[in-house]
Amino acid sequence: MANYYNIDDILAEEEFVPVVFHKAANGVIIDPSSETNSVEQGAKVELPLWLAQDLYLRQAISISVPACFNQRTRLEIQADAACVDLKSRSPYFYEFGCKIAPLVGDKTIEILLLSAFKIRYKEILTKAYTAAYTTASKFLTLLTKEESNLYEAAQVSMSAFKKWRMGGPRLQRASVLGRKRRSFE
Amino acid sequence: MAGQSDPHISLFSAEEVEFMAEDELIEIVPNMRMDPLNFICGDFGPFLPQIASQVPLWLAVALKKRGKCAIRPPQWMSVENLTRVLEGERESQGAFQVLPFHYVEISRLLFDHAREDIPDMYMVRSLIEDIRDVRIHKVETSLEKFSGTSAVKIPNLSAMEVNIIRPFVGRALQAFYKHDNPEKIPDVDRASSAQTRAANNEPRRQLRR
Repeated sequence: MANYYNIDDILAEEEFVPVVFHKAANGVIIDPSSETNSVEQGAKVELPLWLAQDLYLRQAISISVPACFNQRTRLEIQADAACVDLKSRSPYFYEFGCKIAPLVGDKTIEILLLSAFKIRYKEILTKAYTAAYTTASKFLTLLTKEESNLYEAAQVSMSAFKKWRMGGPRLQRASVLGRKRRSFE
Repeated sequence: MAGQSDPHISLFSAEEVEFMAEDELIEIVPNMRMDPLNFICGDFGPFLPQIASQVPLWLAVALKKRGKCAIRPPQWMSVENLTRVLEGERESQGAFQVLPFHYVEISRLLFDHAREDIPDMYMVRSLIEDIRDVRIHKVETSLEKFSGTSAVKIPNLSAMEVNIIRPFVGRALQAFYKHDNPEKIPDVDRASSAQTRAANNEPRRQLRR
């Protein structure tokens, strides 16, 4: 999973999570607008996942479920997963979910991710192979990074096949025909 | 695999699949006399006028281009057989008819280079195009049935069809795998090592595979 040089993996860890500090911390500026450069015990802040993860392992903070996995999103996904704008919630919805689930100890996140992906997968499949780009482009804005990679993979291979079917040796054929005519004369 | 143009997406381009299809054997009827050809892949020939002989498709196409032979279209490329296959494809929703692994590429090469050797060329061509479209559509519908990590078995798919869906299916299965197995092993691993790590500050990457 964790791939040190994978840019998507790095960016997924940049997502913010709401945390509560158990210990007071001195000499840190987490909120630039605060007057003192310290964090009180019980302070609620948003930290990027990579920082929250390590602080959590040192038992300095507790992590709560991020906004993109709240009840409203869940209801929307249950209603029609294919139409939910996951990209605006988090472009790394799935990766983020996989990383956050063990930290907040919420098993339902994984179930949510799987059920969402199952439905959205079908939608991506039909859009990628059948729909024209113009009709699909509206749908594309709803996709997370992982999903749009999937869509592009399908789209690229299909268009490469179509290109091969139509083009290429057409040009060669003309030269063959020319040669043949000469041999008949 | 080695040799593909873009190893990152594990995809052969259509041209590369065509190149591989050119190793398939096909029957030609030469109109010239030539000594046997000894290749790494085997010996072909000797070539005598009007005596049929088996050669790889690339050699057949090369000879055909020079006007040295006529290519005999393979057995399966007859109108009767293709009509039967097309009917079979349309009738059964799930199963695919048996066709040569490289039927898309072979038919394309023959249509391009040996059109006068194929009887009922236009009929054969439209039949093969119909078959191909029906099959690709069927592949897509069968992909819709994915709902988790399971072994996927679609018998009788041809090289080009597999190649079209390969990048998509690979990624999709990976994603399904990731969400289907909610990281039970690393989770346990992390929970048990959390305390020890907090104590002695081990480097983080080792713990997370």
